[in-house]
Amino acid sequence: MKKTTFIEAITEALAEEMERDEKVFLIGEDIGLYGGVFKATKGLMDRFGSDRVIDSPISEVYIAGGSIGAAMVGMKPVPEIQFADFITPSMDQLIQQGSKLRYRTGGQWTCPMTVRVCCGGDVGGGLYHSQINEQWFFSQPGLIVIMPSTPYDAKGLLKSAIRGDDPVIYFEHKRLYRWIKEDLPQEDFTVPIGKAAIRKEGSDLTIVSYGLMYHRSMQAAEALEKEGISAEVIDMRTLRPWDREMIFESVKKTSRVLLVQEGSKTGGVMAEISASITEEVFDYLDAPVTRVCGLDVPAIPFAPPMEHFFLPNAEKIAGSARKVMEY
Amino acid sequence: MPVKKTEAKPKVNKTGLSDDTLLGLYTNLVKTRMTDERLRKLFRQGRYAGTYFSAVGQEATTVGPTYGLFKEDIIAPSHREIGAAITKGIPLEQIFAQVYARSNSPDKGKSHPCHYGSRELGVIHPSSTVASQSIIGTGCAMAFQIQKKNNVVLGFFGEGGTSRGGWHEALNFAGIHKLPIVYICQNNLWAESVPSTRQSAVEKFSDRAKAYGFPGITIDGNDVALVHKTAGEAIERARNGEGPTLIECLTYRWYGHSEIDPADYRRQEEIDEWMKKDPIARAEAQLLKSGKLTTHKRESLVAEIEQEIEEAIKVCETMKYVEPEEAYNDVYSTAFPVRRDEY
Repeated sequence: MKKTTFIEAITEALAEEMERDEKVFLIGEDIGLYGGVFKATKGLMDRFGSDRVIDSPISEVYIAGGSIGAAMVGMKPVPEIQFADFITPSMDQLIQQGSKLRYRTGGQWTCPMTVRVCCGGDVGGGLYHSQINEQWFFSQPGLIVIMPSTPYDAKGLLKSAIRGDDPVIYFEHKRLYRWIKEDLPQEDFTVPIGKAAIRKEGSDLTIVSYGLMYHRSMQAAEALEKEGISAEVIDMRTLRPWDREMIFESVKKTSRVLLVQEGSKTGGVMAEISASITEEVFDYLDAPVTRVCGLDVPAIPFAPPMEHFFLPNAEKIAGSARKVMEY
Repeated sequence: MPVKKTEAKPKVNKTGLSDDTLLGLYTNLVKTRMTDERLRKLFRQGRYAGTYFSAVGQEATTVGPTYGLFKEDIIAPSHREIGAAITKGIPLEQIFAQVYARSNSPDKGKSHPCHYGSRELGVIHPSSTVASQSIIGTGCAMAFQIQKKNNVVLGFFGEGGTSRGGWHEALNFAGIHKLPIVYICQNNLWAESVPSTRQSAVEKFSDRAKAYGFPGITIDGNDVALVHKTAGEAIERARNGEGPTLIECLTYRWYGHSEIDPADYRRQEEIDEWMKKDPIARAEAQLLKSGKLTTHKRESLVAEIEQEIEEAIKVCETMKYVEPEEAYNDVYSTAFPVRRDEY
């Protein structure tokens, strides 16, 4: 078995689903001739033709809205938003049309669409190529929101998204594209939407995260282990609908929880997880639900020292975990 | 499904259409007008909630292009396209059900009084974000092209909708790919309260098509025969892979933006002038002249529609509302049920 990178897993999933179902097509900026700015769609235009791998003009409203329309008449669009920083114009379509289509038509029209969004910092991308922006979609009922952290999940969840019948916003953290490698099975496989994964079992506290922050949380957990603190690490994988059961069960077991997200703190994904934990399993807690998040500033700043200052990392996570343990 | 072509050459009248076609258009115009006027009245009588967006005065711009489409063709309407919905075949009972938002409502009471749609009949339910239907409709046309289907899409919007960025993105894309779509701009001179001169500096809204590399044309939108012919030619081109057309139909809404708008930003002379150009009176005069329509036939047509309307109202007014828990349904596919909190 060869080691497959995170981005190769995505390319494989796209190619296999396009092979499997002729309704699947791709549309986005620079995805065809160029194979994508990160090469996620490399070779697909040659293989499937320009009808099914469409190089779009710089039109994020249309990339989203046109995909919704195509989904309504029998296609399975997989549009790409090149950077999460550029998704804002699409939101009119994704929020007002895509998320509400089934609802506002009494279930008559549906929107089986998977929007791939390249996101995330720690790559020196600057203010406009580092944003993550998942919380905007996380708060919108009608959308499925996924953010994988391993090649296996990237491939399996992308396949589940494409085969499903709901609009999915599928976030790909660009820091993971070529960093994370894994042996993948040769045969076809999917990963269920809505299920988190316990990556490391532990008994002293639960660390919940996703995307790049899952890897940072694992690094912290390994350091903590050497100090005698046993952290259970949960990778959410799907943000909406999130796996309440797995997180609650883990909190019941450890009684302490640390929530880690890359984006700004206020109104982020972890604010919701935190509120739900206090609503549902408050009696089991021995310490306040604690968050480690990006700074509450407009976006990730460019200069390397500021970028690193913005982002949660293993040291910050481990530091917060110690405080939770000392409470 | 191919176009039905009549064997013998049909008799063509002064409008360039057969009497049968003109009568078909006229019937849909009358049905639309009568339904619309009745819905206005019902709103003022407090018989349903929300508000109502009347299209009286503009019927030819929606009936004309829609008449004669295939069932598999898609129309992507806005909120003032009751004529397109009726002409595409949505039964009056469904129109009234949508407005009354009772349990027989096609959207299960979720959206809005004027958001008539039907997947079966190829009518996309409108939404209230202006010009969205052009964007989504363009996506449907993109799918038809990928699927190598013979179908077309009609995208409807007002002149105000052409000011939105997404509208530009959609038409730009449609031009590049020569998509099978016809854009129908109903320029009724007012986008709610903003006059068309404050919407754009272009002389004609159809001039915008130049920027997208396809034909644009401005026509008298209250001449139903002309609208039907012009749209028909554009639809034929679209079906043949020759790409989109932007048709600007000059027209006028007789009443306010919705029933809660007194529309006092308009001059009475302007309203009077446009009411003289009533599209229905013009089609009717032509048909009476040719003998295809008689006063008697007209009366029985009106009586027939009146009865259909009465029956639809009766059905809807005796229908219960959906259970409030219906609010939880149709959020996702059955794979993802919505969590229900208890208070």
